[in-house]
Amino acid sequence: MMQDYVVFVGINIVLAWSVYVILLAGSLSFANGGFMAIGAYVSGVLTVKFGVPLVLAALAAGVAAGAIGVLVGFPALRTRGIYLMLVTVGVTVSVKAVIESIDYVGGIQGFGGMVGTTQWHVVALVAMVGCGLWALSKSPLQRILDAVREDELSAASLGINPVHVKLVCFGAGAFLAAVAGSFYAHYLIHVAPDQFGIVLSVFIVLYAVLGGTNNLWGPPIGAAIMTLIPEFVRGLESWRPTAFGIIILGLLLIRPDGLLAFRSITARARGIFVTKRA
Amino acid sequence: MLVEQLINGVVLGSMYALIAQGYTLIFGVLDKLNFAHGEVFMLGGFVCLASIALGASLPVAILVAAIISGLLGLMIEFVGFRKFRSPDAHITAALSSFAIGLVIIDLSQKVWGAEPVALTLPGTLQTATVSIAGLNIVVLRLAILVISLLLMFVLYGVVVKTSLGRRIRAVAESPAKAALFGINVTRVNQQVFFIASAMSGLAGLALAVRTGYANTDVGFTFGLKALAIMAIGGMGDLRGALIGGLLVGVLEALAFQWGLGQLADVFVWLFMIVILLVRPAGLFGTLISKDVRA
Repeated sequence: MMQDYVVFVGINIVLAWSVYVILLAGSLSFANGGFMAIGAYVSGVLTVKFGVPLVLAALAAGVAAGAIGVLVGFPALRTRGIYLMLVTVGVTVSVKAVIESIDYVGGIQGFGGMVGTTQWHVVALVAMVGCGLWALSKSPLQRILDAVREDELSAASLGINPVHVKLVCFGAGAFLAAVAGSFYAHYLIHVAPDQFGIVLSVFIVLYAVLGGTNNLWGPPIGAAIMTLIPEFVRGLESWRPTAFGIIILGLLLIRPDGLLAFRSITARARGIFVTKRA
Repeated sequence: MLVEQLINGVVLGSMYALIAQGYTLIFGVLDKLNFAHGEVFMLGGFVCLASIALGASLPVAILVAAIISGLLGLMIEFVGFRKFRSPDAHITAALSSFAIGLVIIDLSQKVWGAEPVALTLPGTLQTATVSIAGLNIVVLRLAILVISLLLMFVLYGVVVKTSLGRRIRAVAESPAKAALFGINVTRVNQQVFFIASAMSGLAGLALAVRTGYANTDVGFTFGLKALAIMAIGGMGDLRGALIGGLLVGVLEALAFQWGLGQLADVFVWLFMIVILLVRPAGLFGTLISKDVRA
């Protein structure tokens, strides 16, 4: 039981970070559920059909999803943010439909036989990604990302190529989501395309946004809370989606910037600027 | 056979277009995506089902569905969008409307169950056919096509010709400037939500009547497709939504004709990506964002 909590909370934390990484450069991705599916299936095929070790398979799956992410992201990132958001919705829907139509991986029935994830894999993954992101937040790279997110035009005038920055972030997010998906599949033993629908993608974004996306620690808090809340409203079993929806709404209305929105000097300054202009 | 499929495609497309116009109207005015829009569409079918079960005639059911969907739209605006009006709140507004959608789906499943519910109209309305140029066409489909086209033309007329339309366009251009000219921006937002949601509810009713089932799943399947259609047409553009809807409907019908029905869901999105590659703002859109205009 405890192991379940650790694994699912850990995987959701990495997923929330995968959205956070993409948000760092100012784009929003509803494709991470799709990338997670790619990770789950690619690594699953590698371990089950070719006997590749789990960690290696997870990395390979991550690279594959990252490549697909860059491929899809490239045309989409040239346009406005909201179009990218729609393209990412399309990615998730398409990945699901394509997997369903491939008989080699079981089609609509799903694919099984993946084993091997322990809680230590997940803990190590969370620790590694966390350290990496923390190092990033202390490095000059963070300021490049901040510049691109807050004002693309000014960033471009300083010699930063916003499209490249966004693309790298998009690929990195896809990589993280796919690695998380690999461990997820190898914990559950059996996965089906249905599990990776658009709802999952939206929930991943919710983890990040509810926790707060302007600092590194918001997404994991959001992921942990959102994973554990359903466990504690067990009594409301049959009313779960409604209760969940209302809790989400309440959180968004009370803290629209997320639960942990503290590194917000730029955001606050921007807020004043916006009210003045509006 | 091919012609029949094409007609089916156009009818389907007109329903897509009705939903997409709602999306595009809301997006044009608020610059925000309303993820609960698909669920209003879904509920339209069930409201029709309920009112007919209570003994209402079809015209009354249509009226009831339009009004209830419109009121639901007002509720969505109040809960999900009123507080998130700043240009930075794209994500928050999208997610809050998504949460409302979740609640709507869950509550409807509580009332009507997760399985499709049969909706049979009295009389032969659902099966009657008419023969045109050697083709047997279900009258109902023609009626749906004509009525949705009519609705869309009326909406276009309202937006282009009336004073309400001028207020809507002013707010779409810049809420701040519209407010300076004495326009009640909140009121316009409410009007837009009412109109868009009523149209979406009617589309849902049309789908339920045409297929003979009301289904709690359609909010996601149709709603998301309509979102892609809006992007294909160009966001905030009513003509784009109409033409995009018809195009996608026909494309899907052709996909079924060629035995690719399984991948029909993917086509819409591929089509959208291709269109966005060629025209980054959709068929009729412009790339100038509201942030730049304000």
